[in-house]
Amino acid sequence: MPQLRKDPVLKQWVIISPERGRRPNDFRVENVPVQDAVGCPFCEGNEKITPPETMAFRKSGTEANQPGWWVRIIPDRNPILVPTGDAGREGIGMFDAMNAIGTHEVVIEAPLHHQTLQSVSLDQVKEVIWAYKQRLLDIKKNPRFKHFLIVKNSGSGVSNFTHAHSHIVATPIIPKRIEEEIDGAREYFHYHDRCIYCDIIRQELEQPVRIVHQDALFVVFCPFASRFPFEMLITPKVHQPFFENSDIDHVHGFANALQIALKKMQVLLANLPYNFILHTSPCSDSYRDFFHWHLEIIPKMTQVAGFEWGSGFYINSSTPEDSARLLREAKI
Amino acid sequence: MPQLRKDPVTKRWVIIIHEGEKGPKDFPKIPQQKKSGKCPFCSGGEANTPPEVMSYRQSNTLPNEPGWQVRVIPNKFPALKIEGDLDRTGIGIYDMMNGIGAHEVIIESPDHDGGFDIYSRDQVYKIISAYCDRYRDLKRDRRFRYILLFKNSGMAAGASIDHPHSQLIATPIIPKRVMEEVEGARQYYYYKERCVFCDIIRQELSSGSRIIHENENFVAFSPFAARFPFETWIAPKDHKASFGDIEDNEIESFADILRELLQRLIKALDNPPFNYIIHTSPCDEHCAEYYHWHLEIMPRLTKIAGFEWGSGFYVNPVPPESASKYLLQASTLLHKDDS
Repeated sequence: MPQLRKDPVLKQWVIISPERGRRPNDFRVENVPVQDAVGCPFCEGNEKITPPETMAFRKSGTEANQPGWWVRIIPDRNPILVPTGDAGREGIGMFDAMNAIGTHEVVIEAPLHHQTLQSVSLDQVKEVIWAYKQRLLDIKKNPRFKHFLIVKNSGSGVSNFTHAHSHIVATPIIPKRIEEEIDGAREYFHYHDRCIYCDIIRQELEQPVRIVHQDALFVVFCPFASRFPFEMLITPKVHQPFFENSDIDHVHGFANALQIALKKMQVLLANLPYNFILHTSPCSDSYRDFFHWHLEIIPKMTQVAGFEWGSGFYINSSTPEDSARLLREAKI
Repeated sequence: MPQLRKDPVTKRWVIIIHEGEKGPKDFPKIPQQKKSGKCPFCSGGEANTPPEVMSYRQSNTLPNEPGWQVRVIPNKFPALKIEGDLDRTGIGIYDMMNGIGAHEVIIESPDHDGGFDIYSRDQVYKIISAYCDRYRDLKRDRRFRYILLFKNSGMAAGASIDHPHSQLIATPIIPKRVMEEVEGARQYYYYKERCVFCDIIRQELSSGSRIIHENENFVAFSPFAARFPFETWIAPKDHKASFGDIEDNEIESFADILRELLQRLIKALDNPPFNYIIHTSPCDEHCAEYYHWHLEIMPRLTKIAGFEWGSGFYVNPVPPESASKYLLQASTLLHKDDS
């Protein structure tokens, strides 16, 4: 019998229909053609062909936009939002529009072309997380931005570059899905005076059927109403609204949990394309009681069809409990 | 300068890219590999499908035999099952229920190679009539809160079978996106005592810059805050909440405008993968005054990246005003057959 499950935050129902399910092997993508390193603007040595860097972790004695870095952040060449100009808010009859003011930067996660978050050392992942944090804290000084997203599109089709990178996007509005999370979390908080994410984490830890990995600071699990097979969530166990305010232990703990989750996914699904997206509280302090930062990982294995698009009602062909078990058992 | 636009119903912001904007030729063609030949959906394959729910067929032929023009069958691998109770339960913080519902397939034509680019007027009329018959029938089942009619065309749009077909799913819950629309429309109605969709249609018809086609009863346009390149909506000009309320003469003009529009899309974008979905009012909601049914067509030209998934914030490289222009021009390429 297929099952309907409700996401407690978004109030989104998902159809869990394992009869339609397939094994992880059916999804594996073994040979993603790796784009040639020649001429890749993200490789060390090609700094001149990118826009000038906004930040980099580099060896002392090396200069900006020169080799010698290990994490480098640059403006996106084709930004979806631009940093300068008027807000330009206007009404066109009944419609509302404004200029797309924001920032759109690229975090180059490693200097060598073939390196990935799975293959690099844990120390390198820690450096990437530090770079996210520092860059967010800096961008956040601009009062025009309401929200920040950190997004990674990995693998063929979704991203234009195979060199490991992620995006930082600052937006002048709170994106819809974050707004929905806020609404759901706020309602729960008003009713229970507790953070809904803290309650979810507590319940997941009590009955660890969906836990993939945990340590003292972080938990990785497959959400109860996962929309996709092998969807994962990584979140700090203790309530924290802002990712960018993480202390050093949490930066290191997060790097460790993230790398473990990605490595486990690779063991099961090989080079399947995936996305991750970090949800941190909007800049304002007014969400701090009920927003709890987290990172969502979504392997791109199923073709989202018209039904899902039109209804926001997803059909997941495997149960989150099965996904979690397979991920838990995956040896890395 | 890219622009942010807000969907007045769902309040979703979309980024519209104007500079270096893209045209129909800028999207990589996704090869549509069609396996030709016979499949269970073809005329003659009836024995290999579940028994039909209904069909339009020649008067002297029997159910589950050849001789039909449109045929509706239960999905062999349903996402939801028709038998059983909902059995709502809570597990701590979580809520769940059994996946009860209907999942049917509307086989649009006995011809394996059929499609909206070659269907006759009459064929499309029969397809829409079948939608309508099934919609009205399932609406009587009190377990269902929503009936979703949709089409996935092409692999990239999620179609697993080549033979042209649409689907119907009746669900025991109101899907999230529908609920958002209902909510948005309700708020607008409380504020203005007008239907937000009626206001959109009025403004689109008076500005004209996003209109692609209209006939007596329906209008087709690119929405102001389109999420996808060449996204197009068709809405009835008169206020009607439910697709089931469509009248016989309107079925004909709806079939006409849908056929016209899909022919233009197929022409302009060289047979793109696409989805369309009929958005109608939930079965038991009292939203007749402020909900307005419509159909949304989404060509699948771009890959949705993590940004869109995670944020619900879409980036559209084709301003809707340009999209409607391209689709208008495509009409001149059409051969006007039957009238």
